[in-house]
Amino acid sequence: MSLVNLAHVCSHLQNASKARLGVTSIPVSKLHVRLMLQLQKHGFLSSVTLGGPTPPLPFVLQSQSSEEEAAALASKLANEPWLAYPAPETASNKKSTLGEEKVYEVQVPANPARRRLWLGLKYWNNEPVLNKMELISKPTRRIWVGSEELGVITRSRRSGYIAGMTRPGECIFVSTDRGILEARECVERKLGGQPLARVY
Amino acid sequence: MSVCRPARCLLTRTTTTAALPKSSTTPSKHHFSTSTPRPARRRPHYPNIKASTLKLLNEAAETAHPKYQERELDLLSKKYTPSQLAAIRAAEQTIDARDLLTQSQRRTDPWRLPYDDDLAEVDPVTDHADKLSASDIKGRKDVRAANEIESNEAIAKLATAELAKLYPDGIPEGQLTFEQQNRLEEAMEAALTQAALDPRAVYTGDEDAVRALADHRHSVVLPDLPRIETRMAKATRRLANEEQEDPRQKRLLQYLGWDKQKLRDIRVKTLVTHGVTNQTRMGKIRSLYYLTIAGNGEGLLGVGEGKSVEPEEGRVESVIAAIRNMKPIPRYENRTIFGDLERKVGATKVELFSRPPGFGLRCQHLIFEMARAAGLQDLSARVPRSRNKMNVIKATWEALTNQKLPDEIARARGVKLVDVRKVYYGGSVH
Repeated sequence: MSLVNLAHVCSHLQNASKARLGVTSIPVSKLHVRLMLQLQKHGFLSSVTLGGPTPPLPFVLQSQSSEEEAAALASKLANEPWLAYPAPETASNKKSTLGEEKVYEVQVPANPARRRLWLGLKYWNNEPVLNKMELISKPTRRIWVGSEELGVITRSRRSGYIAGMTRPGECIFVSTDRGILEARECVERKLGGQPLARVY
Repeated sequence: MSVCRPARCLLTRTTTTAALPKSSTTPSKHHFSTSTPRPARRRPHYPNIKASTLKLLNEAAETAHPKYQERELDLLSKKYTPSQLAAIRAAEQTIDARDLLTQSQRRTDPWRLPYDDDLAEVDPVTDHADKLSASDIKGRKDVRAANEIESNEAIAKLATAELAKLYPDGIPEGQLTFEQQNRLEEAMEAALTQAALDPRAVYTGDEDAVRALADHRHSVVLPDLPRIETRMAKATRRLANEEQEDPRQKRLLQYLGWDKQKLRDIRVKTLVTHGVTNQTRMGKIRSLYYLTIAGNGEGLLGVGEGKSVEPEEGRVESVIAAIRNMKPIPRYENRTIFGDLERKVGATKVELFSRPPGFGLRCQHLIFEMARAAGLQDLSARVPRSRNKMNVIKATWEALTNQKLPDEIARARGVKLVDVRKVYYGGSVH
C-alpha cells in the first residue's frame, strides 16, 4: 500500500482538473482502483476504465444503437417503464426484453506493467467537480483513527492531526477492513481505519 | 475532609466486622460517594396547606371575586335571557375564585391594551371604524370619470375646505410677513395637491356614491395609517424644493432600475483612502484614491474604487461604483456562509469560517465592515499572509460572492446532499 504513489495520483488529479482534461490515466494498483471506484460512487469521476497505453474510446464515439432502435426503445419504456429495472435472470428471459445491450470491449494488455487506469473527469458550470485532493495519512506520518474520532471530524471539528470537514461537500476516504469507505459511512457503520485522502 | 474520610470508613468497618454478621438487607451507615444522600422520607407531590391558610385564601378570594348577590342577579335577569343567565352562572361556577386569585394576574407587558375594555363594543376614538358595504350607500351608485370643468370645480371646492381646516379663523389678509406668506403658499399648494389626488375630484355622479369614494370606511385598506392630510402634502413639498439632483446618481438609478428610497437603504462605507501621484514631465499630479463598500444588509455586497484630483469627486465615484458592483452573497440561514472559504488576491490570502448562531462577527475590521454590510452575523476570519487593505477587501468580496452552494455541488456530482439541520426536530432548529 504505497502512499507515495497515492500522493502522486492526488496531485495528478488536481493538475488534470486545473488543465480541464476530460480523461486522464493513473498507474494501476488495487488501492488506486478501489479509491477511484469510491470517487466515482461519490460523483467526483464520470468513469473508471482499465485499459492500455491508449485511452479508451469516449462514450459518444462508441458504437451506438441506431436512431430507429433508440426510438423503439423509448416508446417501449414509455409504455412499460418497469422494464428499465433489471429482472431476475431465468432461462426464459436470458435475452433482455429491451434488446441487445451494446458492450464496448477495451483491450487490456496482458503485461500488467503496461496497464493504466483511465479516469473520466467531471466539470460543472465551467468549474472542476474535483478541485482538491490531498493525502491525510502520509508516507512519513501514517494515521489511523477510530469511528468516534471520525464522528468528530465529520461534525466539522478537528480531531488530533486531522482537520474537520468544514467545506460543503467535502469527503474523506478511509481505508478500513471492509474496504475503502467514505468517512460518514464509516461513522454510520462504526468502523475506524486509515484516512487516505480528503477530496472537495 | 477528604483526608479524614478514609479513616472514618476504616473505623466503621472494624466495628462492624467485630460485631455479629448482620443480615444483608440492613442498609450500611457509611457512604460510598461524596454526593449527598437522598432524604429517607419522600416529599409529597403537592405542598401541604394548613386549614388556617386555606381559610385566609378563601376569604381573600371571596373579597376579590365576590359571588352574585340576589339584587345583582335580578338586574342580570333583566338584561339577559334565562339561557344566557344560565350560561353566565355555569361559567361562574366553573372558574374557582381561589384559582383566579392565585393564578391569574394583571397584564403588565407593553403590548397590553392601554385601557380597560372587554372589546365588546367599537369605541369611536380608539378603534377602527366599522367597514361599510355598497348597501350602505343610499340611492344610485353610478360614478363616471369627471370632465375637466367638473374636476376643476370639485378641486376648488375640496381645496377650499382643506384650507378652511388649516386656517379656521379665515385666511390672514393685509400685509403679510415673509414667513406668513411662505406658510400660506405652502398650505395652498398642499391643499391643491391633495384635492387633485382626491377621488372626489376625479369621479362624478351621485353625491352619496362620490362621497363614499373618499370615505375610508369603504376602503379595503385598513385605515390605520394616517390619511393623506399631512403626509402627502409634506412629501410633495419636499420633492418640490429638492431640485438639485446629481446626474451621476440619476444615471445610477436608471442603471439599477431603482427609486431613490431604495438607494437610501444602501449602507455605504469608504474603507480605504490614500493619495497617489502620477509622475509626468510637467511634474507630479497628486490625486486621491478611494475604496468603498456598499451593501443592503440583506445579502448584497459591492466594492468600488474611485480616483480623482478632487477628493469629493473620487469618493462619489467610488460610492457609485460600489453600488453598481453589488452582487448577491449566498447566506446560510441568512446569518453565515456556506462552509469555509479561502481566496487569494496577490500576496493576500483570506480565510473565512462559518460559525454557529450567536457567534458574532469575530474578524478584523475590514472583513467586519463587509460582513455587516452584507448582512452576515456569524463569521470568523484569518488573514495569514499579507494584510494589504485593498487586497483583503477584494479577496473577501471574491470569496463571499464565489461560494459553492450545496445544491450546486449535488447537481455537479449527481448525488443527493441533505442539510441535516433542516431534518432534525422537524426542521425547527432556530
